[in-house]
Amino acid sequence: MIGGTDIYQLIPQRPPIVMVDVVWSADETCAETGLTVQEDNIFVRNGRFREPGLIEHIAQSAAAFAGYGTFARGEEPRLGYIGEIKDCTLSSLPKVGDELKTRIQLMTEVGGIRLISAETKVKDAVMASCQMKIFLKEK
Amino acid sequence: MDKKELIAKVNACLAEEFEVEESIITPEANIKQTLQLDSLSLVDMVALIESEFGVKIPTADLGKILTFDALYDYLAERS
Repeated sequence: MIGGTDIYQLIPQRPPIVMVDVVWSADETCAETGLTVQEDNIFVRNGRFREPGLIEHIAQSAAAFAGYGTFARGEEPRLGYIGEIKDCTLSSLPKVGDELKTRIQLMTEVGGIRLISAETKVKDAVMASCQMKIFLKEK
Repeated sequence: MDKKELIAKVNACLAEEFEVEESIITPEANIKQTLQLDSLSLVDMVALIESEFGVKIPTADLGKILTFDALYDYLAERS
């Protein structure tokens, strides 16, 4: 488990735009990340974590997944760019205090583009799911 | 699955995924041009091949698979 400011070793984002506060597990093909929605999160409106926040959380979870590999090799995290979001379903907006848990699965990687599937839950309720293509910037 | 069945399955999968008529998929045709693939949709093709045929195409091999015939041969050797 990696949490707190150690997350900064996995993703290039910094507060207030950090949307992952823990990586529960990670290996070569999948990762599980988390975020507790705080009242002062910039994507919270009227007590709900809004759609752009969910997408950003998934994107940063994918970045943390990629970052875990570079971290394990003792390298700096690489910037990632969302190339495409596909089959996106946002089922519900998490409330302040909810603990998001996101599973990232690497589907394939071609020429520096990663295709991942993602599912975000609060307890057993699915909040969001999608596929993303992410470009990882070369150093 | 024999080669004929494999070709039929490949053509059907690709035609459905990329919304083209199966009739334009011919052995000598260029894959990227026929399916109008860009760098993003090429990733979809690789993922589709992997899920349907259990064959992972490494980036290094992709550049060698220019035509459908080359794709059929590649899959026939590995699936």
